[in-house]
Formats: sequence, C-alpha cells, structure tokens
Amino acid sequence: MEFKSGAAQETEKTIFLSRIVFSVSTIALLVTLILLRLVQLQIYDSDKYKLRSMNNTIRTHSLPATRGLIYDRNNQVLAENQPVFQLEMIPEQIEDVEQTLNRLIDLEIIEARKLDRIKDNIRKNYQFKSIVLNNRLTERQMAVFANNRTGFKGVDIKARLSRHYPKKEIVAHALGYVGTISSMDYSVFDPSIYTGKEQIGKTSIERDYERLLHGKPGNEEVLVNVKGRVMESLGKKPFAPGSNLILTLDTKLQEIAYEAMKDKKGAVVGIDPSNGEILILVSTPSYDPNLLSRGMTALEYRTFETNEDKPLFNRAIAGQYPPGSVIKPMLGLAGLHLGFIDPTKYEPCDGAFLLPDYSRPFKDWRMHGPVNLKEAIQASCDVYFYKTAIKMGIDNMSDFLSKFNLGSPTEIDIGQEKVGIVPNPSWKKNNFKSKENQSWYKGETVITGIGQGYMLTTPLQLAFATSMIANKGKSYKPHLVKGITDSGLNKTEYIEPVMVNYLDDIDLNHWEIIHMGMKAVINQKGGTAYGMFDNNYPLAGKTGSSQIYSTEKTKGDNVPEEFQDHGLFIGFAPPDNPKIALAIIVENGISGRTAAAPVAKKILDVFLEE
Amino acid sequence: MIVNNKDIFSLKPSEGLQQRLHIDFPLLLAFMAIFMISLTAIYSASNGSIDAVVNQGIKILISISAMAVIVQFSPLSYARAGPWLYFLCLVMLVLVLVIGETRNGATRWLNIGIISFQPSELMKIAMPLMIARYISRGALPPDVSSVALSITIVLIPSYLIMQEPDLGTSILIAFSGLVVIFLSGLKKRYLALAFTLFFAYLPFMWSSIHPFQKKRVLSFLNPESDPLGSGYHLIQSKIAIGSGGLFGKGWLNSTQGQLDFLPERTTDFIFAILAEEFGFLGVSLLIGIYLFIIGRGIMIAINAQDLFSRLLASSISLTFFVYVFVNIAMTTGLLPVVGVPLPLISSGGTSMVTIMIGLGMLMSVQTHRRLVEK
Repeated sequence: MEFKSGAAQETEKTIFLSRIVFSVSTIALLVTLILLRLVQLQIYDSDKYKLRSMNNTIRTHSLPATRGLIYDRNNQVLAENQPVFQLEMIPEQIEDVEQTLNRLIDLEIIEARKLDRIKDNIRKNYQFKSIVLNNRLTERQMAVFANNRTGFKGVDIKARLSRHYPKKEIVAHALGYVGTISSMDYSVFDPSIYTGKEQIGKTSIERDYERLLHGKPGNEEVLVNVKGRVMESLGKKPFAPGSNLILTLDTKLQEIAYEAMKDKKGAVVGIDPSNGEILILVSTPSYDPNLLSRGMTALEYRTFETNEDKPLFNRAIAGQYPPGSVIKPMLGLAGLHLGFIDPTKYEPCDGAFLLPDYSRPFKDWRMHGPVNLKEAIQASCDVYFYKTAIKMGIDNMSDFLSKFNLGSPTEIDIGQEKVGIVPNPSWKKNNFKSKENQSWYKGETVITGIGQGYMLTTPLQLAFATSMIANKGKSYKPHLVKGITDSGLNKTEYIEPVMVNYLDDIDLNHWEIIHMGMKAVINQKGGTAYGMFDNNYPLAGKTGSSQIYSTEKTKGDNVPEEFQDHGLFIGFAPPDNPKIALAIIVENGISGRTAAAPVAKKILDVFLEE
Repeated sequence: MIVNNKDIFSLKPSEGLQQRLHIDFPLLLAFMAIFMISLTAIYSASNGSIDAVVNQGIKILISISAMAVIVQFSPLSYARAGPWLYFLCLVMLVLVLVIGETRNGATRWLNIGIISFQPSELMKIAMPLMIARYISRGALPPDVSSVALSITIVLIPSYLIMQEPDLGTSILIAFSGLVVIFLSGLKKRYLALAFTLFFAYLPFMWSSIHPFQKKRVLSFLNPESDPLGSGYHLIQSKIAIGSGGLFGKGWLNSTQGQLDFLPERTTDFIFAILAEEFGFLGVSLLIGIYLFIIGRGIMIAINAQDLFSRLLASSISLTFFVYVFVNIAMTTGLLPVVGVPLPLISSGGTSMVTIMIGLGMLMSVQTHRRLVEK
C-alpha cells in the first residue's frame, strides 16, 4: 500500500464526491424512469392489460340446450333425444397409443379404415384433448369394451344426445328431421343462440318450430392455461331446454294410413273439421328420419335425392294433382247456389257431350241415363257436370272454387306448401307466353267441370275443402301443433283454432243435397264407392280419378304405370256430426274406388270405433 | 477528518456487536427482507412447489454463509488478492473458450471435475477488485496511460465473455470496471471520447453479435411484430405487470404465472410475477428496499477510509443498481431482453452467491473501519 499526502487524499475525495453526486443523480433519474414506466403499465394502461390477461386465461365453453320433445295428441313420443355412446381417448393418458388402437381394431370396436384419420387427429390436437374414436357404438361394441375396460386406461365411453324418431317412416314428413348446422341455416337462424354442436331442424315441424324446440344454450367459464388445458370452472350458466310440442296428429291413425299406403305413392290428409287439427298427414314413399339425422354419407344422401319416387318430397302439402271428380260436390254446390241447377231436374246422359264447333265429343266414363244432381254426384256423371259447367261459365266456377281455398295456401304451420291452380281466362292470360295459348276455350270450361285440364290441388287443400263441405261452410285453419309446453315453467299453452272461412250465405238445403249425394256414393247402389264399405257406413264421400295425359293412348288396359290415372277419394265421417275430413291420393292408382277408397275404409274402421 | 494511511494500522477497531461480527445490521436486515420476498415469489412462480422454495432457501443460506465468511476479511486483503483473482479468472475464461461446456448454444461453463461453474461469475467479483486496486495505487485523477491500461484490463475479460456468448454479463462486468475509472476522476474530455468511441463501435458490435441477440433487440423495438416468437416474453411480461394494477391480484393469484403464460418466471421474469401479484405498491416497496441497499452502499463508500475501499464499495453499489435497473427495465420493456436475473430474488444459485460475496465486501469496508482515537 502506497502512502499519499493529506492534500492528495483531499483532492481524491473531492473528485470522488463530485462523481458520486453525478452517479446518485443518474440513479435518481433511472429510478424515476422505472417508476414512471410502472405507473404507465400498472395504473394508466392497467385496464387494457387486465383485459388481455383475462383473454389469455378465460375461455367460455358453450353448453348446448336439449331439444324439445315432440308428442302426438295422445302424448305418444314422436321425437326424442337419445343418448348416443361414443368412444373417446385422451392420448396423454395412454402409454402406447399405437398398440391401444390396434387392440381396439382387433376387438372390432373401431374400424381399421378410420385408423389414419384418428392418428391424424391425435397429431393435430393437444395430448390432453379428447379424441373421438367411434362416434356411435353399437350395443355389442359397448359390451365388448366393458369386458376389456381394465386394459384401456385413458379410453372411455362418453354419452351425447342425438335426435331419435321412434316411429321412423310413419310420421317422417310431418316431423321432418334434424341435421348438423350449415352456413345456410345460420342465415335463417341467429347464430348467437347456437353452440355449433347441436342439431338443427331441417324440414317441417323440426324446421318451422326450430326457435321453440331449440332452447337457449348455457355456458361455462373456465380458466385455461397457456395450452388451453382447463384448470378450473369459474361459473356455469345452465342451458334452457327447448319447448316440447304436442301435435294434433293421432299416431294410431297415422300408422294405419301409412300401413295402407306404404307400397303406393301418394298422400293421406285427415283434418278434424271442428277445429282444423290435422289428425293424419302421410306421404309415401317415406324415409327414415333417423338416418338423415345421424348424418349420411354423401353417397347415401344422393341415392335419396335421385330416387325417382322422391321419398323426401312431401306430397301431402306440396304434391299438386288434378282433382278429377272429387271436385264435383263443390261445383254442384256452386250450381245450386248460383241458380244454374234445379236439383229435381233430370238431365240425360248418353255417355258423351257435344259442344258446337268441336268435332270430338267429351266422353263420360260410362252411360248414366237421366240423372239429377244427387245421382250425378253418386254415380259421378261427367255429362251432367259438363253441361253445368257450360251453363255457369268458367268465371263463376273459379270464383266459387276459390271460396274453398283452392288455388290459395291453407297456411298450414309447416313446410312449403304448394297452392295448386284454379284456372280461368285471366289466369291463362297471365301464365302463357304465346298469344294463341292465352285465349280461353269453351272446351277448357267443360273439362274444368270434372276437375281436369289445368286445375291442380294439393291433398291438404282437398282435405281442407272437404272439412268445409262437412261443416257446411265453416272452416278452421289446418294446423299440426296443438300445444307448446315451456320446459322451464312446465306449462302448456294450447293453440286456439282459427276460423278462416264461413260460407254462411249458402242455403242449408243446398248443403244437404250435396251431403246426400256424397252419402249415396258410399251407401247406395250405383254409388261409385258402393260395396267398398260396410252397409250403412257413416261416411259421405266422393271418388275421383284424374288423368295425367288426356290422350287416347292412356286409355285401355296396357298403359304403363306412370301414365295410369291417379285414384282419389275425399270424405267425411260421421256425416251428421263430422269428426274427420279425409283426402286420399294414390298416384297411378287407376281409380278412386279401387285404390283410394280402401285406404279410407281402413282408417275409418278404426277411427269410428273410438 | 483526514487520516494518514499509516495511522490506520495504529487505530483500534471500533467496539460494538456489528464491528465484532463484521456485520452491518441495516444491510443484513434489508437482505433478509429481500430474501423473504424471493421465497414468496418463487413459491408462487413455481406454482406452489415446496421443492423450489427449499432449493432457493438452501441457496440463500449458502449465499449468507459466503457473505459471513467474506466480511471477516479486511478490504486490504481483497486489495492484495485482487490481481491474483483477476488473472486466475482470465485464464479460466480462455479455458472456457477452449475446453468449456456448451449448454443451449452458449459455452460458459468450466468443468473442474467436481463441479462445473461459470468463470464469468467469478469475474464479477475480480473486476472491481482489480481495477480499484490498480487505480488506487496512483494519484487521482489518473493519467492517460493508466486510463488506457485500466480500459484494457476491463475490455479483455469483457471481450472473452462476449465470445461465449454472454452479452449481458459481459456488459455488466465492463460496467463494474468502467464505473471505477469514472469515479476515480477521469477527465470529462476522456469521458466524451469514450462515449464517442462506444457509439462508433455500436455498428461493429451489431454485426458481430449472435443472431438470437439481434432478434432480442429487434423484438424489443417492436414486440408486437412477432407476438408468438421473440416478442412473446415481453408481451406476456407486460400483460402480467399491467394487469397487476395498483394493488395487485394477491399472492398466488397471478394468472399469467400460475397458468404458464409467462416464461422464465422463476428467473429473469420474476419481477413480472411480483408486479402482477402485489401491484404497483408492492413493487414500489421492493424498489425501495433495493434503493436502501444501494444508498447504504454509497454511504459506506463515502465514509470509507482509503481510496481502494471507496472505489470498491462504490463500484459494488453502482453495479448492484445496474443489475436491478437492467432486470426491471427489461421486464417492463424499457430495455431489450438480455437475460439478467433480478438480484437476490431470481432463482439461480451462482449469481446470488457472487452478488452476496460482493455485498459482503461492501459490508467489510464498513465494518473494518478503524476509529481515530480522540
């Protein structure tokens, strides 16, 4: 150690102190800088960072609501939610993933062809996330897995809910089906009330009552770590289950109608005339909505869509058919009401009707001899109605038929119903392009008199019109939903019938004459459905057959099936106090008597017994 | 009070418990407070791991023991040991570059059979000793040639450490030496020259540093440009600090830390955890304790009885401040991420031991003072 003079030490210390002052000032400056920075981060911008911290760590898991159930009028379940069992695996809990998968394949619990996709899923996801190995286990697979469970740590069976329709094809067109949500669905329904995991209604009741059936999803806030692993639950908002629906349908009648129709193409609609409740709505061929709801492969769906018989097509509300002779009671009533028909007067029928300027006669299906209105309905005399049509003229006819809601929507609460056509000169003018096709010909008035030509109706429209006839003019809007049960309040709200039309200016005697004619169809000799029902059957009805092509070629015995006439039947029972109005169409059924009337009998035999 | 160096040896040591144990109680108290904070923070940052706390506790005990041993020696003995230690470290730093162990792409460790350690940590102690020793021999202010030699003494180890690479340690060691030259009264024009040279050197340094270091600097300048890559540390750190607010989320309630969003949270980013859990008030208290230690160190330097002790004590105090400043500035985004732990709080044994040895020497300067007899 060298020794320094006192003076030197003094200088050293002065210099040192001046430098220390500088250093301390620098420290003060830097500490101020840090404190300012902390004030900025922790006080000034704190809210921003708190939000970012929460976004970092809080995730909201949505809990899909359970879909409302659908019952028939007698509380029989038509659509329910069934647990479906799927096999899931958490990769991080498994020692040897490869070996585990191979053993599951050996046990036939997972399919070998899906192995690559499963492995791909495992690679792409976090190891603590559950991977679905089989999304629908059969009972056998579940039993096999249960027996071998100890060997599969980290593999488990999980339940989820899936729509199930116990009646399968029988109620398919009325109920519709559900499926996974598409972007198209999101353009119709508010995406914010869907979690994306649930099924959404695609057609009919399931679609048109989607907002009620769907319910409101709940959610759960969870704390996650940086990898998204759930650490704890912060709070749960339970879902609100969807409302249950009680339909107007009677499953028993529906079953009988389907049973009678299942090998045919066509439709049956049955309405309670006293309130508009639809008791039967069948369209055949049908489909199993369970297959559609569980998700089909593209190929399976294409076979459905390209099927020539169009099983997905709801003929009951969207099938448009010429009504044929079932229009006669309505036109008879029109003639009576407008004074063109004297019910006591007999008109000759020699099997054909000739119009001046027309070289070809309008044929009747047989020679009837002289008939009055009642007998013309009973025996379905075409000539009588050809003459009536000419007397009334097309505008009178179309105006009166419109009162039966033909050519207009019934406003049923499901689906996209078609409105059919009630033709008249102005309709023709608006719907044909070339000038010569726009003018109305007298011959067209004639064939409209027997429900042929341009006229088209849906089975639903015919059933609705029949309910008006049965009720002597009073009618209620047809509907499928009878009541809505709020699952939360457990209270059922019933839908009031809505009266839509009341032809109260029509003489009751005129209605009576039409009813007599329709009763005679069933119960009197010469009635077109006579012999098809038991004696004195409490039914008033009318058969019909409508031609697809009015060419000579389609007459005779060797006509290909698709060109054969449709068989139709309308009716109401019991005639004095009608409880049901029916419309039945059997495509290419040749005649209403042989094809459609037996379907009515099967339904009514059961209905009238109750 | 002017005392001849000669007189010192004739003075009696002052009496009192502190002097006999050679422990400065105010500093010891501050260390204890800091260590309590350390254990609290480590427990939280390790998601409640008792092992981590015990581990840290052992390191604290070792560090305090090392300090207790160091304070028993007088500053004079440090002055004598300084050059030896410095040259030993220099040899070891060269050996590191030749036969050192490489971990995570950095060659910083020297394996001497029983243990492997970082010679650069030892250099943190050797550097202020050596420079203080060298400068205090001559008259102040130092002349050009001794400044030049001093700078050489500083730059050689700094350069070697930068080659490992370990930019942070290199800069801090250089600082601990340069601060001594500065305090010794380097003329202002030299200081200006030094600054000019430093800034002139920056572009060269930029081209010679490693790509990962460049990335750190770039991500510091704009962290949001690569939020999941090199900017991630800083963003998550700022979220942790900012979301703590004024009062903090409470102990063990740090979501950024508990849920693994914040990396290196027991080491370099432990300040962010403290800020998140204890808020602005909590970290202000911590900064206050640090400032107390630094202030006390500067007081010790001012009251020191010889030039060597003064230079040593002030170098240790100011370097300690720089450690604290660099770490906090880094976690709050004022400086690039350079990988400097928060002194006495971050887990990591070696740095704690070397810092406590340094602070022990600081204490020794205070407790080995001799009083002039009246």
